[in-house]
Amino acid sequence: MTEPVFWIAPIAAIVAMIFAWRFYKEMQAEDEGNEKMRTIGGHVRTGAMAYLRQQYKIMLVVFAVVAGLFAYLAYGLGIQNVWLPVTFVFGGFFSALAGYFGMQTATRASTRTTAAAQTSLAKALRISFRSGAVMGLVVVGLGLANLVFWFILVDLLTPGDAIDGARLVLVTTTVLTFSMGASLQALFARVGGGIYTKAADVGADLVGKVEAGIPEDDPRNPAVIADNVGDNVGDVAGMGADLFESYCGSILAASALGAAAYVAEPTMQLKAVVAPLAIAGVGILLSVLGVYMVKTREGADQRELLHALSRGINVSAALIVVAAAGVLWLLGIDNTWGIWAAVVTGLVTGIIIGRSTEYFTSPSYRPTRSIARAAEGGAATTVIAGIGVGMLSSIPPVVAVCAGTMLAFLFASGFDVAQMGQGLYGVAIAAVGMLSTLGITLASDAYGPIADNAGGNAEMSGLGPEVRERTDALDSLGNTTAATGKGFAIGSAALTALALIASYVEVIRIDLIAAGITTLVLPDGASVATAEASLLQFMAYYNVTLLNPVVLIALFLGAMVAFAFSGLTVLAVGRAAQLMVDEVRRQFHDNPHILRGKADPDYERCVAISTVGAQREMILPSVIAIAAPVLVGLLFGVAGVVGLLVGGLATGFALAVFLSNAGGAWDNAKKHIEAGHHGGKNSVAHRASVIGDTIGDPFKDTSGPSLNILIKLMSIVAIVMTGVTVSFSLL
Amino acid sequence: MSDYRLYLSLIPEALIASQLEPAAFGAYYSTGRHLHAHDQALFFEVDPSFRGGDFPFHLADERCVTQPSGAPKSSVYLGIYTALARVPVSALGNLYLVTDDGRTLELTRGEYTADSAYSLHLYQEFCPVRPLVASRLEPQSFCRSITDPQHPVNVPRIAFAELKLGELWSDPAHGNADDLPYPAIGHLRDVLLDFEHNTKENKLVMRQVRQGIIYRMVERGFYVGDHKDFAYYPFPSHAELESKHYDWWRSAQVTRFD
Repeated sequence: MTEPVFWIAPIAAIVAMIFAWRFYKEMQAEDEGNEKMRTIGGHVRTGAMAYLRQQYKIMLVVFAVVAGLFAYLAYGLGIQNVWLPVTFVFGGFFSALAGYFGMQTATRASTRTTAAAQTSLAKALRISFRSGAVMGLVVVGLGLANLVFWFILVDLLTPGDAIDGARLVLVTTTVLTFSMGASLQALFARVGGGIYTKAADVGADLVGKVEAGIPEDDPRNPAVIADNVGDNVGDVAGMGADLFESYCGSILAASALGAAAYVAEPTMQLKAVVAPLAIAGVGILLSVLGVYMVKTREGADQRELLHALSRGINVSAALIVVAAAGVLWLLGIDNTWGIWAAVVTGLVTGIIIGRSTEYFTSPSYRPTRSIARAAEGGAATTVIAGIGVGMLSSIPPVVAVCAGTMLAFLFASGFDVAQMGQGLYGVAIAAVGMLSTLGITLASDAYGPIADNAGGNAEMSGLGPEVRERTDALDSLGNTTAATGKGFAIGSAALTALALIASYVEVIRIDLIAAGITTLVLPDGASVATAEASLLQFMAYYNVTLLNPVVLIALFLGAMVAFAFSGLTVLAVGRAAQLMVDEVRRQFHDNPHILRGKADPDYERCVAISTVGAQREMILPSVIAIAAPVLVGLLFGVAGVVGLLVGGLATGFALAVFLSNAGGAWDNAKKHIEAGHHGGKNSVAHRASVIGDTIGDPFKDTSGPSLNILIKLMSIVAIVMTGVTVSFSLL
Repeated sequence: MSDYRLYLSLIPEALIASQLEPAAFGAYYSTGRHLHAHDQALFFEVDPSFRGGDFPFHLADERCVTQPSGAPKSSVYLGIYTALARVPVSALGNLYLVTDDGRTLELTRGEYTADSAYSLHLYQEFCPVRPLVASRLEPQSFCRSITDPQHPVNVPRIAFAELKLGELWSDPAHGNADDLPYPAIGHLRDVLLDFEHNTKENKLVMRQVRQGIIYRMVERGFYVGDHKDFAYYPFPSHAELESKHYDWWRSAQVTRFD
């Protein structure tokens, strides 16, 4: 790479890995507590690893089959990019590796956090947050390192003149296929993890709390370990894989669109390709700095804890605004301040979505309180209020993304809508801006389950009230960050998917040229070279207009896929939870000593049931997510695929916000009541709120987050299957 | 000397002989032998030498013996009707509060002094009837009033708890009732407000409390007595329950669905 600023990216990736390793070793050196704490932690770790083993086994089979198919299409039929089979496998492998490291760290850190909480809140926060940072830094480190590696390798091995603009378009669209593996692995991690965690949670609650009347995190509950494992599976491995894919996808889409936007100016083109990588690199360095700023004093209250966490995230975000300007200025990219404004737009959009999520799901604000008030009327009014609040909560994020997209487009295009390439590049780089400080924002997500498990460990180990008080404070903080993290993940997925859809057309260009179609004959009879056709000419060539019934049909299909996918995942949780309910009931029935506390339950069996249930149940939703763009492409061609992706994105985004926020609001409405409102614990309102919370569980932790993957995966499947669409489409 | 213990259950009313220790009996009584049942229980341990009340103690002597398997006999019912009326307060030992999942908290008798801080009170009666009653009488006076033979409506002996009224004791009309889990708060307010307009000592709030007791709402403690004797069992503070009886306290706060 001839652009010096490019090297910020590999250096930052290495720094991320070094600090991740350092934080891991620091955590490992901490005291793991007494034997009981270690035993409980061991159960959780064994369960988590058993889950990952099972998932990786299935992944191995699926990846082998899909890679074989890609290899046949690429090397046998010659209609696919020859790099695809390899980048696909790498994308999946490194996403899984990040999840593995994250889970290993999180499951080890929770026990040590509990042990630290015996003496110090500040120390417990440090251990849990820096352990969460391991996941954050591993995701961004491995992600960026891979992208750098593939850019260098593909650039080296792609024939042609380095100053030929079309060559860099080919390089960037080739590397874009890396996202396919990451996306498919994210689907497994998110859908499987989401089903697992809620099957265990709902199963544990329904029999343990509701039927047997035993409290949460009670070691007599056979599903308690599976429940703790589920926290890690969902919020560490699942969230990590989701954001790994968003992170890589946004950078790759920005690079591809940058290459396409400046195809006529090779020097500027390279700068546009390098900019997202460099901004991501600087973001990593600032994330590390932010991690060191997260600390608190002994005896800190909830507000101070939140302030400590926010300080790290806010400082990183503020500094990236300045640093991005520096990077772009150093690069000397055209319209420096316009591109910079697009980056800032992405950051601000992320913050607005986070704040909106907090507003709609926090008991400090009116929406969640209105659900709590509605609970006085019983379960039906609680459910109605939650659904209403969830639907309304889609307004700010959707408006923020719309405004962010428009502003980013205008800033990057210099307020000239005819500069569509530059404008779309701005949209993509806005997503990069939003995700630039992922190292620390993901740290705050992964911190949640560590603190949650630490609290569970303190309960099960029978530690004193002062320890539980500290772990409860950390757990409560984790709940707040988890809610905002989900909003952030959805927002970044929407922007990334938008950028991927825009990249789709560039990939079509490459595949058309590869298929020997060098000239496009437009509807008005004019001819244009495929290599030089503008985006609008491509749209005209494929008749991508709302007057084309194919586009409308596919729009509806896209919307339907989002709902069908959500419905299947919700039902999957119900079925998997039923298996868990049956098992917990069986254990209580067969061995009364368990409830007497005189015999240990069979924790492993519950872990195995949830694992197998999750793997089985995720197959159908996964098949739909992958098959939809392929089938629509074969039936309706490019116009159909664009319609499907737009329909899926628009519906999936709003639906994901609705599901996540409704679930979060129900959860916190219950907590608000438990804090002594509307009758408090044991009241009619409390019972109603428990029902609302149970309904919201699969919404917020399974279907909502899984939709992030759906909207990105459909786009990336469409991108990698353009060769098939272009070659075999019926229309 | 018998090798069994006597327990006077309040929910439901019964005198039971058992070879189990109080905690084990509480767990058994609440959740059953195979833990397939889940229900609260309140019971007193009765002086083992007590032989009054016309109960068939010979049944206990015959049947409350170690099982052929070596297991202790869990229960032999000696009476399921007017049991409290037939056991004098002096024969009652410690009181045991059992949660839905069978965890037991032991309360010992305490020195009773009337607390004049509150002008209005809320009492949940357990035995022999189970209403929720608002009263302007402090607990001992309430007990005397309900068990007064001169009173047209009376019971021979009563066991009850005083429940929290939050701000309603001082301001029934507008006081904050946010953390009061009782059904029909509006009706409770009306009942309390009625005391301002008449001279009645007690007013019925609910004819029968169908759910068990919400332990977190217990104000000072539990009471048992008649027109002569009176005993008070102080309920620990929430801080003490949190620190010394954590498992019981957590279990006591779980909302179980019937």
